Amino acid sequence: MNQSLLPGDTTPAGLAAALRDVILDVDGVAEVFPARPLWQNIAGAARSAVTGEPLPVVQVEFDGEAVDVLTRIGVSTALPAPAVARSVAAAIREHLGSRTATVRVQLVQVR
Amino acid sequence: MTGSPPAPDHFDLVPDALLAGRAADGDTVAFEALARRHGPLMRASARRLTGSLADADDVVQESLVQAWKQLDTLRDGDAVKSWLLRITASRSIDQVRRRKNHSDLSDLDQRLAAGSGLAGGGAAGAGNPEAAALSGSRMEALKAAVAALPEEQRRCWVLKQFNDQSYEEIAQTLNISVASVRGRLARARVALAREMEGWR
Amino acid sequence: MSASGDNFECGHSLEELSIYLDTGEFSDPGHLTECPECQSGLAALRRLAALGDELVSADIAAAGSGTDDWMQSILDNLRLELRPGRDIPVRPDTPGDILTETEGSISALIRSAADSLPGTAAGKCRLDGDVSTPGSPITVRVDVAVVFGHPLEERADALRRGIAATLARHTELNIAAIDVTVADVLEPGFPGPAAGPARPSESSEEKP
Ligand SMILES: [Zn+2]
Repeated sequence: MNQSLLPGDTTPAGLAAALRDVILDVDGVAEVFPARPLWQNIAGAARSAVTGEPLPVVQVEFDGEAVDVLTRIGVSTALPAPAVARSVAAAIREHLGSRTATVRVQLVQVR
Repeated sequence: MTGSPPAPDHFDLVPDALLAGRAADGDTVAFEALARRHGPLMRASARRLTGSLADADDVVQESLVQAWKQLDTLRDGDAVKSWLLRITASRSIDQVRRRKNHSDLSDLDQRLAAGSGLAGGGAAGAGNPEAAALSGSRMEALKAAVAALPEEQRRCWVLKQFNDQSYEEIAQTLNISVASVRGRLARARVALAREMEGWR
Repeated sequence: MSASGDNFECGHSLEELSIYLDTGEFSDPGHLTECPECQSGLAALRRLAALGDELVSADIAAAGSGTDDWMQSILDNLRLELRPGRDIPVRPDTPGDILTETEGSISALIRSAADSLPGTAAGKCRLDGDVSTPGSPITVRVDVAVVFGHPLEERADALRRGIAATLARHTELNIAAIDVTVADVLEPGFPGPAAGPARPSESSEEKP
């Protein structure tokens, strides 16, 4: 069922962690921010800073055969930002292989 | 100095109103400059109001979170300092109400003094040991007198002295009448003035 | 202080004097200049106010500076959230993918263009128009503060060119106009608010 995915990728958490590295490898990407704003739960963020427990970064949701990926990234101004967004989407798709996917890339910082 | 740009590292030059406008647009750097500028006073006020170092830091963090979320409701950017202090005051009072067993202020001053040499006499009278000693012990006497005030009187006095609130604002913060504020503030001052007359 | 109870022999009270100090209101203002009791009461309250100011200064000093670790750790927590604003679409290579830039990230980009000019700092910045529909005409409005002595018109022109180039490179927005307003003139070396705009706000608009 998951032939196109690496073993670590079979859980949302495993796939999310792998995708984070894939995204960070794209030229022009400076940072990967947690996919969900933590504002409402700043106490959680503070706790995470203390315990070193990583916060969920890339959001991955399986829907049967399909997978939904959401990432919030910061990019440098070294490359045009829209081109970086397209490269990130392409890198995510390449990692997912032939799987049906929806990819959402949100640029939240350009600097 | 001439021609140096008021870029992020030169924010000292930039007025509150401009920073508040930028921050309301979502500029975190401008918001951080405001937080750094007014944070120490927020912390000082929260310490006197909560009587706890740890609670005060929680209050400052919560207050900045709230300020960031509500910045777009701030009409007058010049008023950002009193606005931040108003948020700090309300959160401090909430914190004290949440926590019944808060430590008292004399305890706070002991721990402040233990943690920092600045807590004693402050910078007042520096350079003149005799004056510094006098000023220092006078400060200690004032701290003790403030700590000895009934809770409600102390809150009124701190909100006036540290947060520079009007009678109406204090009444709102404490959810009491303006007449009560007038009376409590006056009684606090009478008690403090009596206590301090010996230190002239 | 001579009063033992709440009231002086003259019939007035420290409470009245305390209110007078804060509000300037007193039932019989002429009395204050001739009553020694009220005068010594006022003097005591003024000494207390001065001492109170000293305590505030000492407490602020004890609270540390805004660049200390305690403030840094609070700000680190705050920074996790960025005020996003509207989503600005970016054309995807694969239909169905949703690529966006936040309005907040683009505003920040515009402000940094203004900040990078010597003697110039950006204030409010907005994108007027339907940024979420590709091709909609957008007007950029940005307020700037300029340090006194820098030529305002020249600054505004350079800034418009800089913003136009930056937006063309980093967004797919259809920029119809860039409106730069000099909203503040800053005194070099004097912290705090400048004494209002040193001259009427200068606004100018042109096609990029
Ligand atoms: Zn009198």
